[in-house]
Amino acid sequence: MIRYLVRVVAANLRRAPSLYLLTIVGVALGVASVLTVQILNQSALAAFTGSVQAVSGEADLSVLGRTPTLPDSLYPAVLADPDVAGAWALSRTSVTLADRPDYFLDAVGVDFFAPIRIPFVTSRTGGPAVGATLANPAAVLATPGWTAVSPELATELDLAVGDTFTVTSGVRRARLKVGALVDFRRLTPLAGTRLIVLDLAQAQALLGEPGRIHQIDVRAVAGTELDALAGRLRETLGPGVDVLSPEQRTQRAEGLLAAFRLNLTALSLISVFVGLFLVYSATQASLVRRRAEFGLLRSLGATPRQVFAVIAVEVALLGALGVALGLPLGYWAARVNVEVVSATLTNLYLLDAIERLYVPRALFALAAAIGIGGAVAGALLPALDMSRRDTKTLLAAFTLHERLGSAALPLAGSGAALLAATGLWYVVGGHDWRGAGFVLAIALLAALPLGTPLLVQRLAALVRITDFGWRYSLRSLGVRLQTTAFAIAALGIAVSMLVGITLMIGSFRRTLEVWVNSSLRADVYITTPSWRGRSTEATLDSALAAALAALPGVRAVDRLRGFPGYTGERRIALAGVEMGIPYDDSHLPLLAGERTSALAAVHERGAVLISEPLARKTGLGLGDSLPLSVPTGERRFVVAGVYYDYSSEGGTVILSLPTLNAAFGAGPVNSIALYLAPGADAEATVDAIRARYPDTPLLLRSNRTLRAEVFTIFEQTFAITRMLQGMALLIAVTGITLTLLVLAHERLSELALYRALGAGTRQVFGIFVAEGIGMGALGLVLGGAGGMLLAAILILVINRAYFGWTIQVSVPLAALAWQAASLLAAAVAASLYPAFRASRTTAAELARDDV
Amino acid sequence: MLAFDRVSKVYDTFASGSRYALRDVTFATSMGRTIAIVGRSGSGKSTLLHLAAGIDVPTTGSVGLFGRPLERESETARTRLRRDAVGLVFQFFYLLPHLSLHDNVALPALIAGERGAAVDARIRQLLARVGLEDRARDPVQHLSGGEMQRVAIARALLRRPRLLLADEPTGNLDDANGRAVMDLLLALVAEEGTTLLYVTHSREFAALADETWEIHSGVLDTG
Repeated sequence: MIRYLVRVVAANLRRAPSLYLLTIVGVALGVASVLTVQILNQSALAAFTGSVQAVSGEADLSVLGRTPTLPDSLYPAVLADPDVAGAWALSRTSVTLADRPDYFLDAVGVDFFAPIRIPFVTSRTGGPAVGATLANPAAVLATPGWTAVSPELATELDLAVGDTFTVTSGVRRARLKVGALVDFRRLTPLAGTRLIVLDLAQAQALLGEPGRIHQIDVRAVAGTELDALAGRLRETLGPGVDVLSPEQRTQRAEGLLAAFRLNLTALSLISVFVGLFLVYSATQASLVRRRAEFGLLRSLGATPRQVFAVIAVEVALLGALGVALGLPLGYWAARVNVEVVSATLTNLYLLDAIERLYVPRALFALAAAIGIGGAVAGALLPALDMSRRDTKTLLAAFTLHERLGSAALPLAGSGAALLAATGLWYVVGGHDWRGAGFVLAIALLAALPLGTPLLVQRLAALVRITDFGWRYSLRSLGVRLQTTAFAIAALGIAVSMLVGITLMIGSFRRTLEVWVNSSLRADVYITTPSWRGRSTEATLDSALAAALAALPGVRAVDRLRGFPGYTGERRIALAGVEMGIPYDDSHLPLLAGERTSALAAVHERGAVLISEPLARKTGLGLGDSLPLSVPTGERRFVVAGVYYDYSSEGGTVILSLPTLNAAFGAGPVNSIALYLAPGADAEATVDAIRARYPDTPLLLRSNRTLRAEVFTIFEQTFAITRMLQGMALLIAVTGITLTLLVLAHERLSELALYRALGAGTRQVFGIFVAEGIGMGALGLVLGGAGGMLLAAILILVINRAYFGWTIQVSVPLAALAWQAASLLAAAVAASLYPAFRASRTTAAELARDDV
Repeated sequence: MLAFDRVSKVYDTFASGSRYALRDVTFATSMGRTIAIVGRSGSGKSTLLHLAAGIDVPTTGSVGLFGRPLERESETARTRLRRDAVGLVFQFFYLLPHLSLHDNVALPALIAGERGAAVDARIRQLLARVGLEDRARDPVQHLSGGEMQRVAIARALLRRPRLLLADEPTGNLDDANGRAVMDLLLALVAEEGTTLLYVTHSREFAALADETWEIHSGVLDTG
């Protein structure tokens, strides 16, 4: 049997390579979609895990602040616990290269006398490790700016031991000297290359704040119950700290990314779903060609089960080839998209950037399971159909099998029932469940193909044949539903995804435009380059802030101090704001509360404003009290308003700057916003500031530049989504080609009859192209309706449940029209080859058996 | 009208090399005649009809149709000539199951780009003539074999072809239906003034033609 299979596959590959190739391509694209998303998901987590393992790999527990920094006075208290075998304090500061403000480094300050193993190496190419600790730590302390860098970083920046380089932290510049090379990949392969290591005291003095640290890593005495130790340390150190194991820290990152990962995974699965239809069409195309072969097998005594097995094994083989092609394709697509996904992680989730891709072996197994399993699943119906046909039918030259025609109404009925039942479930109680939106989306995407045969049948029946052209083609589509309905359904699903996501992104973009117009009212925004890395230490000094505020032409100034904080176990962004303009002039868009009185409550009575995502996720509203972790424990703040915010899905809180300083301790601001006098030019002001402070690392942006940046980030965030859309569409359009190839073969006798009756090759060509366009148009109709429903689910249900944003529905007509035109053009392109094949049919095909 | 001049057709087969389907066939027909060709399976009857319809071209010799040597015409020109001047009737009817009787009969006009009241009137006339005018909108799947062949004849005559070629028109029918179809076919070509060339196994039906020719192993005997 295996020998038979191999010979059959080889023979058919020679005879009809395009069909096999398309099956393989269908599987490959589906596998690639899933693999791309999973590689990016895993790499995002690996970037965080790598950072944790590299710095805290030897620690059993880490003491972390629920406020931006911790006093280093906590360190002796940790060491005092009898179950602590060793502990070391760390500072973590995000800095930028002075001459490359967009190049971030993670500066780790460590105590070189502490019992921590740092993997120093002797050369850029690795070389042997010098040892667990430096031979002469005292010499390190005596060298100002002594820093260890990774071999990769040294290579990239062309640095050798003894060289110096300058970094910025806030407005400070620090000249660092490469004292050694350190390769954290010796400890964990996931480690990033942009970790640099300094002496703790020097790091505090040069980059951070003396006396303040970011974490204390703890190694427990062997046999210690870690949970008990963590609880005890928490009690000893007070409510301002968390004590977590490295695993718990990774779990937190996973939680932060859960919605992002889930949404990408769902999108990639749609590609697989569409891919199943392609495999269906390809298998059907292949089997139709080989109908006589199966008829012969059956007449020689092969059972339906044996015929089915032959087909299933063959398709599984093709699936395996698709997997082999999909793996590199998926990896390549992940590489192409890693930068934008990484930007999303840092912009929206404040997590570590992805430096390189991480591909665990389990992903290969997943890809293989999806590819081969998907191929067999997609081939199931045509394989069953072919294996169950009687021998006489299989050997007949011309048959029309249309069981789907009579099943069209019941199928549509079951689709409608599925939608109705799911809708009812959602209304009655399902809406309380976070994942309900996905259930609705799945029901919609399942109902679409169920309704397709009836739609095609009824629309085709409406067409009255008056010519041998468009009308004739459209009418023909309704005749072979078993073939055409699948391709149209696949296209409908892909178009639903396209339209749904286009509507969602278009609406989101429009909403963002309105929000940005309301929120960004100042003329010039000033911060420091390292603020982009969300470093708490990225501060402006007070004198500079005052000098900038006093510049000619500046009529008012907003000051902002921000850092991450916690409400309960939820990590949020805190912003202390000092408003320079009257409350009435603010355009901060509020979802709940009256703007002027809310701002007055914030600035005069210590209340807070919370962002919409935070309000949705915590259930807090106007007048409720928001608990915030402060150095002394927990403080509650009255919620004076809920504002629209699209900068973070985790949630943000606005306090007045004095309230923030009173709760967390005073500190410099991170950014200021200048309001210029009427007539003053923002770009000129930016240039003037740049000229006045040439050596101060400032990030200056006019209102226009900042808005442009916002939309750049927006586009980055959805870049991967657009790629997945493209993959699904490519799969669907390939399905049109396959379907028409099936039709060209199934209708060989019919085409020969046309030719015998005098139809020219151009007429037959035109008929097929028209059928391709017809399928494209029907896919558009179906997908347009499905896409609108999908958009409603995405915007009103899934988005609100997972991200908590209000998105005003807006229809980007131009984008949708362009997509519709492109799709029809793609349908024409997809039809050309099958149309050419069909047009080559001769009248002699009618009676070739008689020759 | 239709003239074969020393026509041979050779097929290259994988199993047995070159095989003559027709060998040195020469004949000429005149307007309005009915000619039956009898012969066994594989004797070359269908090949002869294909060459006559311009579906295929001879290996050697010349096929003249309305004075035009088909072997010198392009495939497109032969198709147009067939569309405009030749009607075809097949043994297996070749009606399209997804079209109604009316639309099946209309197919040659649709292909030729003809439409309008005149075409509809002609279809109604032909369907009435073959006794199926009441079922014009029915799907053809519900017809009997004899009825299907009557529809196929109506289709073949729709555009008033000067030459009608019929390949075993009764081959898939029982005797009674076969006879009825033959009678109808002959009556219609007589009414329309069409030349009819048909192949058949049946001596009885062959005898209904003006002339009967025989074909054996590709060699035509016009007697």
